[in-house]
Amino acid sequence: MSMRFIQRHRLLAIGPSAALPGFRAPHFSTPLNGGKLERRPDWTGVFRTGRKNGLSGFTASVFITALAVVAAFLLAGAPAFAVTPPVNATLEPSQITLGESAQLTITSSGRGAELPKLPQVPGLELRIVGQSQRIQIINGAALASTSIMVRVTPQTAGVFTIPDVAPNSEPLVLRVTPPGGPAMSGKAGGSGAPGAGSSANGMRMAADGAAFVRLVLPKRDIYVGESVPVDIEVGLRDGFAKPNALPTLAGGDFTLNNLSHQPEQTPRVIDGKPYMVLTWHSVVAAVKPGKFSLSVEAPLTVRIRTRPQRDSMIDDMLGDPFLQNFFGASVTKEITATSMPSDLTVLELPVEGRPPDFSGAVGSFKIAGDLSSKTAAAGDPLTLRMHVTGSGNFDRVDSAMLEHLDQWKTYPPKSSFKASDALGLKGEKIFEQPLIASAPGPRTLPGLAFSYFDPNTHRYETARSVPLDVTISPSAADGSLNVNAPVPAGTAPSAGSTATAASNTGLRPDHAVTEAAAATLVPAYLQPRFLAIPSLLMLGFAGGWVGLRRRVYGPDDARGGRKRRASKGIDRVIRDMEAAARAGDAASFFALARTALESLPRTEHKTAPRIEGEAALRTESEAAPPAELDPVRLEDGLGWQKDDLRRFFALADEVNYAGLQPTQEEFERWIALLRHASQRSTLPPATGRARESAIEQLS
Amino acid sequence: MKSRAPLVWFVIGLVCLACHAATGTESKGYSAAALYNAANAYARAGKPGLAVLNYERARLLTPGDPDVDANLRFVRESAHVPAEPRRWIDSLVTVARPAVVASLGIAGLVMIGAGLLAGLLTSRHRRTRRAAMATGAVLVSFTAINAVLVLPRLHEAVILTAASPARATPVPMGDPLFVLPEAETVSITADHDDFVLIRTRAGRSGWVSRANLAPVVPSR
Repeated sequence: MSMRFIQRHRLLAIGPSAALPGFRAPHFSTPLNGGKLERRPDWTGVFRTGRKNGLSGFTASVFITALAVVAAFLLAGAPAFAVTPPVNATLEPSQITLGESAQLTITSSGRGAELPKLPQVPGLELRIVGQSQRIQIINGAALASTSIMVRVTPQTAGVFTIPDVAPNSEPLVLRVTPPGGPAMSGKAGGSGAPGAGSSANGMRMAADGAAFVRLVLPKRDIYVGESVPVDIEVGLRDGFAKPNALPTLAGGDFTLNNLSHQPEQTPRVIDGKPYMVLTWHSVVAAVKPGKFSLSVEAPLTVRIRTRPQRDSMIDDMLGDPFLQNFFGASVTKEITATSMPSDLTVLELPVEGRPPDFSGAVGSFKIAGDLSSKTAAAGDPLTLRMHVTGSGNFDRVDSAMLEHLDQWKTYPPKSSFKASDALGLKGEKIFEQPLIASAPGPRTLPGLAFSYFDPNTHRYETARSVPLDVTISPSAADGSLNVNAPVPAGTAPSAGSTATAASNTGLRPDHAVTEAAAATLVPAYLQPRFLAIPSLLMLGFAGGWVGLRRRVYGPDDARGGRKRRASKGIDRVIRDMEAAARAGDAASFFALARTALESLPRTEHKTAPRIEGEAALRTESEAAPPAELDPVRLEDGLGWQKDDLRRFFALADEVNYAGLQPTQEEFERWIALLRHASQRSTLPPATGRARESAIEQLS
Repeated sequence: MKSRAPLVWFVIGLVCLACHAATGTESKGYSAAALYNAANAYARAGKPGLAVLNYERARLLTPGDPDVDANLRFVRESAHVPAEPRRWIDSLVTVARPAVVASLGIAGLVMIGAGLLAGLLTSRHRRTRRAAMATGAVLVSFTAINAVLVLPRLHEAVILTAASPARATPVPMGDPLFVLPEAETVSITADHDDFVLIRTRAGRSGWVSRANLAPVVPSR
């Protein structure tokens, strides 16, 4: 279903002007001259105006011409409209202050409206100020409606009932309050500013009624820290004033909180003049006790008339600021409008009866508590929540909740606030505290308490919640967790205790850290610096062993090695000799025997006694042995009998040159002699104890 | 006797130095109890990989701790990781702490050396000397066996991520051969850039990103 609205106003619309973010200029209907038109009794739908204070010159002629054009337009369209009875009537606002005006709108269906017969209400002045038509096209069908605006101006304060405006509407009720409380005043910025304030219908307006600032306080006696909701109203006559910044409090004794950037915008007619009223809802709080005067300032840009007062009526009749500015009737100027000061008494919070846990909360609160779960395991965290609801200064609402609790590990709570109104004056503040039970079993958490000061009862109050029951089961991970009693240093758990605490289904308990820290995880016996220790030890032992051996066997013990090596070589030769003897190879046998004799160590020669005389001569005459072999010394050193060496060489010569073949007994005898000589050559030194025993064994 | 004093003092000094090296501690380092407690905390927090890693590290410092073994077994079972196969010879490692084992090895070495030197100095107490040398040889062998058994564990690592792919090549785009579960202990056999070649206890090998595992013995 498509719907199209076509609205045509016969009244002039005042152009928007706004400086604040979000401020949207109103679009409302107003009579041409701001309510100063004088309507004649034979009204036929055409505005007819008369000259009250005398229009002169060019201005009057232009005005009359404009009216004539409008009248011709209205006369051309009026006969085509059908006359229908009124169907609806509204009154806005329903409550005003004496000096202000309300607007009664009578709506009739059809494209024409019969002049309604306005009721006579004592104390109210009803005057028709305009008419508008609206045509709706719904599914191709045009539906027209006509609205007639009536300005309702009270003469006195009270409650008025406007009856019989429309057949189907209820009687309209208008409440008029006296202007005693919130007065309106203004001061121009700068010295000697024009339009420093005027009075109209008991109200002081700023800049000749272009704007006003008003502070609405619900109470006059408040407490320190108490949050009091206030309304800051800035009335701007459209086209004549616009705000430059947010309103502020004059003075530093109060704080203004939660001032929104998006004020409420309400069109309102005051003293017959249309205003756009910007309303900020905020909260003020006093910081110290005493008596103060509270006011609000709002920086504005206003348009000030430059014509004499007698010509201002023309401007009023022109209405449109554009036309006024076109004719040079006004200039703009920045001013600071101030509300009438409101007296406030700030009371100090009483010291007597102040609870210890009072955190400065002033208001009316209720609390409730709950747990995240009614069952938990020992060691598992639970969350205890405290809900503080009500109205007041929630920024001072604070609680430590449960600080110390047996068998429980408690942590500091965290809070979050969720406001239920735009001011933050009402809402819910939730405190969440983690808790860990250290032992299983049924537990009861005590009720929570919250203390605040109630300004209504003028005393401190303490709100309490009900205790909470919770069942703690044994820990699945660690049955012996004791968070409140840590294991003291130096008391490591015994093997028996750990064994009893062990469970196949859970972890064994923690250990007490009593040991010193190790530099590395690598075992000591695999660390390079440790491996140097046994190396040094072995080196030390080897050195000690060598040193001791030198002390035991003397310095000549070094030759023993050579002797043993030589003995091994002789043994090999002897084995070859035995093979040669078995083969009957006499030449090879004695060649090997000669080699063995030459390989024998000759150290024994030094110790052997030298044989002189005949033996020496006989040796020289037997010119067979090599020059390096001394037969006497060799025989003595080898342990052979006398002439054994000479016979050996003689036999060797016979074998080599005469082809003598010795018997096997002779081979064995010479092998035995060589083996005996070899064993004597490897004996320890003559001074050693081992040599003596070796000689005994050899003998 | 006077000439033997320097040698005796030399041996005593070496033994003291060895004991200090075996039981040396520092103000900052690893504590078996602290590692064990940290592993318990990780286990409670649902991080089996880090828990097993800290248990393995604690086990290097206290091989015979039954709590460490029990909790390590429990965490592995909880993480569905196959248990570590135990050989009879592995029980030798759990007999004593590494520092004690190292001290025993030093003591055995001293007994062998002292027996040899005593044999040169005197021919008496031959049986006593031989018994001491045999005992020393047993102690040195015990330390050597411990070293041989523990040495492979120094190259082990624990998988820390839930599903670590083991790839055929050490590149991120390599074909995954198999997936390693968290808390599994593997052996590191080689490394290449950001990958290490691992071998599982089942004998499977693959390249795993370094970020997915942590060595039991952190490299310095």
